[in-house]
Amino acid sequence: MNQENDYAIRVKDLYKDFKLNSDKARTLKEKLLFSKRNKVDKVHILKDITLDIKKGETVALIGTNGSGKSTLLKLMTKIIFPTKGTIKVNGKLTSLLELGAGFHPDFTGRENIYFNAAIFGLTKHEIDKRLDTIIEFSELGDFIDSPVRTYSSGMYMRLAFSVAINVDADILLIDEILAVGDKHFQDKCFAKLHELKNSEKTIVIVTHDLAQVKKLCNRAVWIKDGKIKMDGNPKEVVDKYIEICG
Amino acid sequence: MNVFKELYRYRELLKTSIQKEIRGKYKGSILGVLWSFLNPLLMVVVYAIVFPYLMRMTQDNYLVFLIVGVIPWVFFTNVVTSGCNCVWINGNIIKKVYFPREILPISVVGAGLVNFAISCIIILIFCLFSGIGFSINLLWLPAIAIVQCMLSLGMLFILSAINVYVRDIEYLVQFIMNLVFYATPIIYNVSIFPAKFRWVLYLNPLAHLIDAYRAIFYYKTMPNLASLGIVGLISFVVLVLGYLIFKRMEKGFAEEV
Repeated sequence: MNQENDYAIRVKDLYKDFKLNSDKARTLKEKLLFSKRNKVDKVHILKDITLDIKKGETVALIGTNGSGKSTLLKLMTKIIFPTKGTIKVNGKLTSLLELGAGFHPDFTGRENIYFNAAIFGLTKHEIDKRLDTIIEFSELGDFIDSPVRTYSSGMYMRLAFSVAINVDADILLIDEILAVGDKHFQDKCFAKLHELKNSEKTIVIVTHDLAQVKKLCNRAVWIKDGKIKMDGNPKEVVDKYIEICG
Repeated sequence: MNVFKELYRYRELLKTSIQKEIRGKYKGSILGVLWSFLNPLLMVVVYAIVFPYLMRMTQDNYLVFLIVGVIPWVFFTNVVTSGCNCVWINGNIIKKVYFPREILPISVVGAGLVNFAISCIIILIFCLFSGIGFSINLLWLPAIAIVQCMLSLGMLFILSAINVYVRDIEYLVQFIMNLVFYATPIIYNVSIFPAKFRWVLYLNPLAHLIDAYRAIFYYKTMPNLASLGIVGLISFVVLVLGYLIFKRMEKGFAEEV
């Protein structure tokens, strides 16, 4: 009935500028004395983006480095705010922009699961319920009770990914973090994403792994220089993208 | 009302960051958390030795008189000075994930409140052993503490947000706090001033709060409800205003830190 409810994310006429100042005046003295340092150049990262993502869609954002894909994801999670335009989000959203936010190196893996999951907005009870699944997914075994600083980077990433993927959000935003761990773990991550996709979750993913885009997603959006260049069937979009940029 | 819903959803984060705030501060020291209570006590010892000679204090039970003023003051000044950079130092998390940013200042005040509650036991011990004893008026304590929390949180909202953009705030606040300490009747009684100048001291909301604490602990009387009410109202306005300013400025946090 209510059309508004069919959408997970609605982006309308969105613009985002970034300030570009190489030597920023940070203290009061610098602000007063070097007033010319306060002059900033603006870069237009995103220009007039309008994008509706329906509930249950798995959307890939593709494009070259610096085209604004990650910025768009950050705007969706409310880490940064648009210069102009609106973003409406319908449902609980979790973003996996950078793994291991809030990890504290001196605490054990188990304790960090609690810190990290709390940042994602889970309660203690909810974390307790997921703890075993998370530990099992991470395949860390006995290392779970060692301080995180003793982990290898692969172990660190595995733990972080396991927490984030088990948060159980309606909308999942993922930014190029699937290059995690070895082949075996990557396959497991994609299997999990397929599972989430089939359980009617909305997924927005930024990736350069075009083969996976074709397999996983049912829609691809190509962003070029801050504008939507192409939007539609992943196979068509990816092929066109490879034809022009590859 | 959305604010409270969001905070309720993130209550686990609020809880863990209050814990981190309490334990993290004296991490690595042998006495650990004990320092949060030793610090004000040592401060009191110094004042109790120095000021009676310096100022010819004739206050009965000067030690208790001091403690009752110093401990709420330490609560206030710790929250406001150490909380100033609470947004700034969490920059790396702010850039990575979304969570209600107001959790950062709120957990600083929350941690301060927990410390204060425990410190109140110290005040009570001193009241008991100095022969002052207790009275039913101690029941006013939560009300006074809530007013103080609102005031500190409101100020912290404003200061921690501005501090992201202008880093001088932190150092400026330290200096001003030093000044306010002597302008607030903590180590002295207001009565040492001529009656016609006292109103100047009472422009400072903290003076009313310290008076209220002193009333319930030291004089065992009711706090002056009229002045507590007015300070409560002012604190509430500061809190709402501070929150609005914080909300407005937070949009730039991830790009500035």
